[in-house]
Amino acid sequence: MTAADDDLPAPRGIRQSMASLHTWAGLLLGWILYAMFLTGTVSYFKDELSQWMRPELRRLAQIPDQAVVAQRIADELGKVAAGTSRWSMRLPDARNNSVAAFWLTPTRDAGQRAFGDAYFDPATGRKVASRDTLGGDFFYRFHFQFHYMPVVWGRWLAGAAAMFMLVAIVSGVITHKKIFVDFFTFRWRKGQRSWLDAHNALSVFGLPFHFMITYTGLVTLMALYMPWGERVAFKTPAERQQLAAELSGFIQPGRPSGQKVPLASVADMVRQAQERWGQDNVGRVNAVHPGDAAARVAVTRGEVGRVSLSPQYMEFDGTTGKLLTVRESVGAAAETRGVLYALHLGRFSDLETRWLYFLVSFMGTAMVGTGLVMWTVKRRQKLPDPDHPHFGFRLVERLNIASIAGLSVAMTAFLWANRLLPHALENRADWEIHAFFIVWLLTLLHALLRPAKSAWIEQLWAASALLFLLPVLNTLTTQRPFWHSLSEADWVFVGMDIMCWALALLHAVLAIRTARQRAGGRSRRDIDRRAPNIIASGEVG
Amino acid sequence: MSHLLAFMLCLAGFAALAFAMRRHQRDVLGGPLPPPKTYALRVAGGAALLSALGILVTQQGWSLGLVSFSGHASITAGIVYCALAGYMRIRAGALGVYPPERKT
Repeated sequence: MTAADDDLPAPRGIRQSMASLHTWAGLLLGWILYAMFLTGTVSYFKDELSQWMRPELRRLAQIPDQAVVAQRIADELGKVAAGTSRWSMRLPDARNNSVAAFWLTPTRDAGQRAFGDAYFDPATGRKVASRDTLGGDFFYRFHFQFHYMPVVWGRWLAGAAAMFMLVAIVSGVITHKKIFVDFFTFRWRKGQRSWLDAHNALSVFGLPFHFMITYTGLVTLMALYMPWGERVAFKTPAERQQLAAELSGFIQPGRPSGQKVPLASVADMVRQAQERWGQDNVGRVNAVHPGDAAARVAVTRGEVGRVSLSPQYMEFDGTTGKLLTVRESVGAAAETRGVLYALHLGRFSDLETRWLYFLVSFMGTAMVGTGLVMWTVKRRQKLPDPDHPHFGFRLVERLNIASIAGLSVAMTAFLWANRLLPHALENRADWEIHAFFIVWLLTLLHALLRPAKSAWIEQLWAASALLFLLPVLNTLTTQRPFWHSLSEADWVFVGMDIMCWALALLHAVLAIRTARQRAGGRSRRDIDRRAPNIIASGEVG
Repeated sequence: MSHLLAFMLCLAGFAALAFAMRRHQRDVLGGPLPPPKTYALRVAGGAALLSALGILVTQQGWSLGLVSFSGHASITAGIVYCALAGYMRIRAGALGVYPPERKT
């Protein structure tokens, strides 16, 4: 904005102020926002990604009867997690082909809590011997708490980024005064103007989503960011427990009686829930003190079709199987949170809505990406010596390359690592993640060492090649090649292969366009001529 | 099914709204449409979008309906946008020229 400052000695209007705010708020945390947006976008298909990353788990041709599966796994947990004070299992559904369970491991040390977890085959009830991986959960967790740092720090950083995003959205809307006149406008070959048009379109079309996702993102972690109200309102442990119960489906354990009584039929409990909520619409089964006379079991409702994450569950006496309570509503404040939380995660979606979420979120990613690139496009014209730009410009330019093109390479590398790392490797799941960060770091080094233009092109081509070859790698390393998935109607694997090719194409197109831009000197003169115009209009990115 | 219908309605709605704008009338049709036609396009576009919202809300309820509508609106606006940009690109390529920048 320095040039604009020189041109406009008069007091700056609100649009100019908002333009600088938008530029700098966007830039400062733009790289983090881009990573949050992209990893968050793919997380809409987290469960599918997890299925792909555990190819040993068989595809479920149809959802098995959840009541039967629940009983089978409960029996198995009785052996695997004998003596535990609580266990919890997520039943298989349309998007999950396994039962994920965790349990508190009994420890002598009263102060210590340790969890065990495992995936179970719904058909046999046995633990699945699949490769050790975090699956799609890695991108999901990275999206709001990053990695290699304490979880709380990561969440604070994500919250700061989200606040900057909110500032950028509001200031962007104020800055963009011709929001309706320019609604469908794209001007080709106008350099900065074209970038701005694209950035505006991506922002405006997805505006309801962008605003919703940023705001609800903050709501998901509000208890961390603003704990004071809660601390003042709920002082005793009993009140805190009640709050926790209001917000989650995990019933609070009472004291065990010490008297051994086997667990009543879990299948019967799940059947009652199925009658109430629908055949395939049971989410989790949670038990406290299983095998004790004081056992309680909660069967929670699935998330499909209701825009709220407020828990709904039926609580049973664990020894008699008698229904104790049904919880289907929470207070207004808790329900507001439940709805906003659900809107962010989109887990209620049917397949069509999930794709809409994915695509609009992808537009959001592109919005942040174009915004970042525009910072350099806009300033390159005004550099005193374009061949030797100043340090700040070079820094932003290189960070852009690594955080945009480099992230594509690194995320694909993570999937390659999933297929290539030996199963016996110790801490294998961690090494997949290390591979992601090592590759990302390498792309940064590459961006620093190569000329900017070449770095862009080479990294985009690298991402394209890695994506294009991923289905080939999948063919070579698993029993589930593309044609096999197609004939089996295994849509998760088919979809994954097709998405890889589509994204490979996208990166190839971007690489080709970037390469072509090098030759075009015409548009540059064009921009120089128009530059004062753009600045005066106040529409600067 | 309601998804497909809502999608088509949104697409038609945004296309109508785009053609109700002078810039796109000039770029695509070569000149402005008479005001009554422009007005009719604007009304038709708005009506199509509203009926898409109506269909989604009746089929899926307010909460899900609003979410789906927002998604369909974003995607279809993007498609109309890309179609217009693509059309201009192809035409410019065919003629070998780019239209002059209009003073705004």
